[in-house]
Amino acid sequence: MADTQEIRGCVIRTDLYYSVDDHTWVQVNDDGTVNIGMTDVAQNMAGPLLHAKTKSVGTMRKKGKPVATVESAKWVGPVKSPISGEIVAVNEEIEKDATIINRSPYRQGWIVKMKPTNLDEELKGLLTGDAAVEAYRQKIESEDIKGCEHVEGFEA
Amino acid sequence: MDDFEGKKILVIQTHGVETPTRTYSPLFYAMAAAAMEMDVMVWFTMNGTNQLKKGEAEKIKLDPTSDVTLKTMLEQAIESGVKLRVCQQSLALWNMTQDDLIDGVEILGATSIINLALESDHVMYF
Repeated sequence: MADTQEIRGCVIRTDLYYSVDDHTWVQVNDDGTVNIGMTDVAQNMAGPLLHAKTKSVGTMRKKGKPVATVESAKWVGPVKSPISGEIVAVNEEIEKDATIINRSPYRQGWIVKMKPTNLDEELKGLLTGDAAVEAYRQKIESEDIKGCEHVEGFEA
Repeated sequence: MDDFEGKKILVIQTHGVETPTRTYSPLFYAMAAAAMEMDVMVWFTMNGTNQLKKGEAEKIKLDPTSDVTLKTMLEQAIESGVKLRVCQQSLALWNMTQDDLIDGVEILGATSIINLALESDHVMYF
């Protein structure tokens, strides 16, 4: 199991890279690809997700452009890519059942896999480890984000 | 998901605070289109104008268990890149002036909206 820390009940995995402002994470895989997803904070703010629609495999994305849209009963918005690159796989399971993101935001609920075009440089602009936890703590406190509550079967 | 980046959507909202259940959805659709990278504008006219008066949208809450009010929806729409515009002539219906409007809303005249309708890829009318 990866190391985790909690802020107001929201789980932050310290082995991932984060774009805290966009509530997204990046996992660097051994083959040089990256997985991208929403953070625990994001899935909590959105509430139970009804739909997730990803961009198609083969789509080139610049950092900051959406790789998917997600919607709940009370919110709809983009999942902005923290990394530039080509989408090489999408998680078809979340299109069938978007609540997978609520249950497992960092694992089963990954959203797209990308082949990055500028990874080393762009990772420098993301936060990981304790720095990510501290930045998220500040964001949660300064914006007074409500604490996280988890559904049954939640995994970090 | 197909690529709709750059498509123009114009949402026309004619319903206001007297019919709360007709206020959220047009904004929700607008935010969905913005999330899909479309260029989205909501045009408030007739009764739709009154929700833009300072202090009004805070009073509208569809789900009593939620913190989300119509004001929240309007703010989220602006944050997501949706442009909010109001009909100049309809302000008079509600004795409103520019000073009465919430932040982030611009006033346009009738000819502007006709131009925008013609330039849009699709118009959604509520």
